[in-house]
Amino acid sequence: MLETNSPAQDTTLTAAARTPVYRARGLTKVYGTGTAEVRALAGVDLDLYPGELIVLLGPSGSGKTTLLNQLGGLDLPTDGELKYRDLDLTQADEAQLTRFRRDSVGFIFQFYNLIPSLTARENVALITEIARDPMLPEQALEMVNLGARLDHFPAQLSGGEQQRVAIARAIAKRPEVLLCDEPTGALDVKTGIVVLEAIERANRELGTLTVIITHNAVMADMADRVIHFSDGRVHDYQRNARRAAASSLKW
Amino acid sequence: MLANLDRKLFRDLRRMQGQAIAVSLVMACGLAMLIMSRSLIHSLSTARAEYYQANHFADVFASLKRAPLSLVDEIRALPGVAVVEPGVAAQVTLDIPDLDEPATGLIRSLPDLREPQLNRLFLRVGQWLQPGGHGEVLVSEAFAQANHLHPGDPVTMILNGRLQKFRIAGLVLSPEYIFEARPGSALPDNHTYGIFWMPYEELADAFDLKHAFNSLALALAPGANESLVIAALDRRLLKYGGSGAYGRSDQPSHVRVSDEIRVLTILSIGFPLIFLSVAAFMTNAVLSRLLTLQREQIAVLKAFGFENRQIVGHYLKFAFVFVLGGAVLGTLGGMVLGGQMTQMYHMFFRFPDLSFQLDQGAVALSLLVAALAATLGVLGAVRRAAKLPPAEAMRPEPPASYRPAFIERTGIAHFFANTFRMAVRNLERKPAQAGFTIAGLALATGIMVIPNCFHDSVGHILDFQWDTVQRQDVSVGLEEPSSETAKFVFRELPGVVSLEPFRYAAARIYFGPHHRQIAIQGMDPASQHERIVDSRVHVMPLPAEGLVISTKLGEILGAKLGDRLTVEFLEGRRRTVEVPLAGLSEDFSGLAAHMNRHALNRLLGEGDIITGASFCVDATAWKTFLHQLKAVPRVSWVVVKESLRRNFRETTAASINLIQSIYLTFATIVAFGVVYNNARISLAERGRELATLRVIGFSQSEVGAVLITELVILALIAVPLGLAFGTALATGIIHAVNTETVRLPTVFTLHNYAFAVSVVTIASTLSALVVLRNLKQLDLVKAMKAPE
Repeated sequence: MLETNSPAQDTTLTAAARTPVYRARGLTKVYGTGTAEVRALAGVDLDLYPGELIVLLGPSGSGKTTLLNQLGGLDLPTDGELKYRDLDLTQADEAQLTRFRRDSVGFIFQFYNLIPSLTARENVALITEIARDPMLPEQALEMVNLGARLDHFPAQLSGGEQQRVAIARAIAKRPEVLLCDEPTGALDVKTGIVVLEAIERANRELGTLTVIITHNAVMADMADRVIHFSDGRVHDYQRNARRAAASSLKW
Repeated sequence: MLANLDRKLFRDLRRMQGQAIAVSLVMACGLAMLIMSRSLIHSLSTARAEYYQANHFADVFASLKRAPLSLVDEIRALPGVAVVEPGVAAQVTLDIPDLDEPATGLIRSLPDLREPQLNRLFLRVGQWLQPGGHGEVLVSEAFAQANHLHPGDPVTMILNGRLQKFRIAGLVLSPEYIFEARPGSALPDNHTYGIFWMPYEELADAFDLKHAFNSLALALAPGANESLVIAALDRRLLKYGGSGAYGRSDQPSHVRVSDEIRVLTILSIGFPLIFLSVAAFMTNAVLSRLLTLQREQIAVLKAFGFENRQIVGHYLKFAFVFVLGGAVLGTLGGMVLGGQMTQMYHMFFRFPDLSFQLDQGAVALSLLVAALAATLGVLGAVRRAAKLPPAEAMRPEPPASYRPAFIERTGIAHFFANTFRMAVRNLERKPAQAGFTIAGLALATGIMVIPNCFHDSVGHILDFQWDTVQRQDVSVGLEEPSSETAKFVFRELPGVVSLEPFRYAAARIYFGPHHRQIAIQGMDPASQHERIVDSRVHVMPLPAEGLVISTKLGEILGAKLGDRLTVEFLEGRRRTVEVPLAGLSEDFSGLAAHMNRHALNRLLGEGDIITGASFCVDATAWKTFLHQLKAVPRVSWVVVKESLRRNFRETTAASINLIQSIYLTFATIVAFGVVYNNARISLAERGRELATLRVIGFSQSEVGAVLITELVILALIAVPLGLAFGTALATGIIHAVNTETVRLPTVFTLHNYAFAVSVVTIASTLSALVVLRNLKQLDLVKAMKAPE
């Protein structure tokens, strides 16, 4: 059931989808200098394709969050090549990065990061106000089954509900990429599953390339591809022949 | 050896130094004001007390027509009188070569062979008068400096109608003339008005007052009742033409110094109170933020056995460091400002030695007050933090809960952008922080209104008094009331376009229990020079009978139109008559009473008498006019409108500029500090929220706008409040400064308000920009991390 592929020759994909969304070669990120030098990314080669659901697995400190930061345009690499479609993320200026994040990337954080002073609907509307082709905030919240709690403030919502608002906020702009940083890390199993279902649904219905980073190996089953990460490098690729439904996961 | 907890204190402080400096600076403004005003009060009262003591300043003063010197023994025998010093005082006109117009002044006698027992002079430069010498005068230092006169210089005076030359022996100061100005004048004009002294014999000779006196100074015996002595003295002087004795509290120079001390007292309480309240809140805001950040550290300290008391003490030390910084800066600031104010006082007040003396008590007081304010500001927050059980403190604070802001509940919510909602809801969630930021900005706006209000009010007076009321170019007073024929002499002067005679008569006006002493101005009914205007600045016709008095005098007397006033004349036959109050006039020079000249003369029981005239003069003949005026005998005073106006402008400009620069500094510091503090705290508290906004696609300027929106909302609320506050404050201060003789109106112009708003806007904007630069360093990755 498991097969291993090299990144550049993924023969199972259709020709139309063969152009990768992201293409990374020799991606390196070094923090500090001298004895304090930490190589968070030590030469990553990676191609990510449209509509894929990727789970990036690795122990803490393996560099997966650093990779996510590079993919999201939050941080610039020290060396190597990183392209989002035609945009060279290693050369992009502040304005280009902002535009990239605004139009193309949806972020989901471990600690939800909702704006506490805005209601669920307003948190989503904050993004739909500035996005190019957004859906209605209510529609986005409906997709994560929160249609009934539109006017609640974050402090009035449970952790799972807050994370689902965050997902609605991320998908309302119809992004091409959804980057999720330990999205269930602060949640219990039951709520975690509900959140993963919401992410899965967004991936399926909107065709969004979705990257989930986690150290929870169980989540690998819901992915199209699993990337094992350790010591700042891609250790291993794995393709699932069939994605497991999020609701079937147990940990 | 520094305790480790204190080491933590210093390292923490270094990290928050920007905010620490902002708080200390605002505190320093209040303390500088406190120290400056208390020290100036101290300097002025000490200098005055020492001066009075050393130079035997009298307790009671009187002037009269003429009394024999033999009366002195009788007066000395009155109960409560310790020392009596009689003398001669007379009006004098001078011809100063460099001065176009004639200067006038008061010449006073000095005992020939001894030092006076009261009101001794202080010799600044030159020599005392030679005993038995002739042809020498002492000149007040202020007049000499303004006219560049030195000991040895000649000076020409018209004494009792005779032109005489004198030599200046020395320049002196007198405790009677610390504030040296023409009687009734709000500001000194040292160019054209001075005080002179010469030997009794010579002066009495000149004015036919040999073996007689017309002025008197008394020292009271310890424990004497001043008002009883004054009453007894008045009775005794009645038949000698006494015009009413008065104590120090009515002595013009003494009153002016006291007025200044009174204003300083108000400043020393009001201003520090406001500034320190703002500073106390800023301390609270900074420390509350620190306590939130250090919840876990507090928990660890407690878990390891530190007592609540030690933790409270540790955090109070932060506040005390701010206080100490504020006190040091405030003391330095107070000394600099006080030094400058003392320099300015030299324009108004003449002391042998007026130097700025730091009131050490005030420094101690300010330290205490600031420490108290800071403790009040933070004690609650610190104690709450210290009381938190360690286990609870280890957990992060529960998420902030919000609700729709008040303004949204009014049903217009859908008009607002979400970023605007964030701003209003944040403000509403922390009303105290918003309130004090508003208070700080309002304070900054308000204090900027004050100096310009003074400026505009003075300008208004200048125009009102000298363009609307007094339209003559020059007024000339005679030494003695004369028949109307005197005006034919005046008419001979070159360039006279129009001439209007007037008659002044000294009188006391009584109504009910109140009375005031004043010169009633008798004018021709069709007067075009001096006019009477009502409160709406309409020219009032002068009624044929009855008195028109200024509104202020009406207030003092409690009289209204139609009331019958009792007028006791202090000259001529000293009649007492009843006169109806026929009108109330607007007059910013204080107390004034006008009457038809012929009606006034009838009341006095005299014929067609004048005491002077006002002139409009052809500009081309102006110099010749003044030149010939200097030679007219029996002229006792000359007032040239333009030089008075110029002098008024220069004197007020200098003092208002100083005050304006002080207030400008304070307003800038407060606006800058308050905004800086507010923005820094917002930035720190909401770093994660702002980073999140950046991550999900907001540009740097859009995130900046979220912060700025809050500040703009606060400023929009603060500015109108500040203008209202400043208007009220300036009105209050002007009312406090106003006396019966100095009456400033309250004038507020658009320019004043616009300037105040601009200063605060510029200072706040710069401050916000300084903070916003930090947004560049906003760590986007922070959004990925656990909340604090």
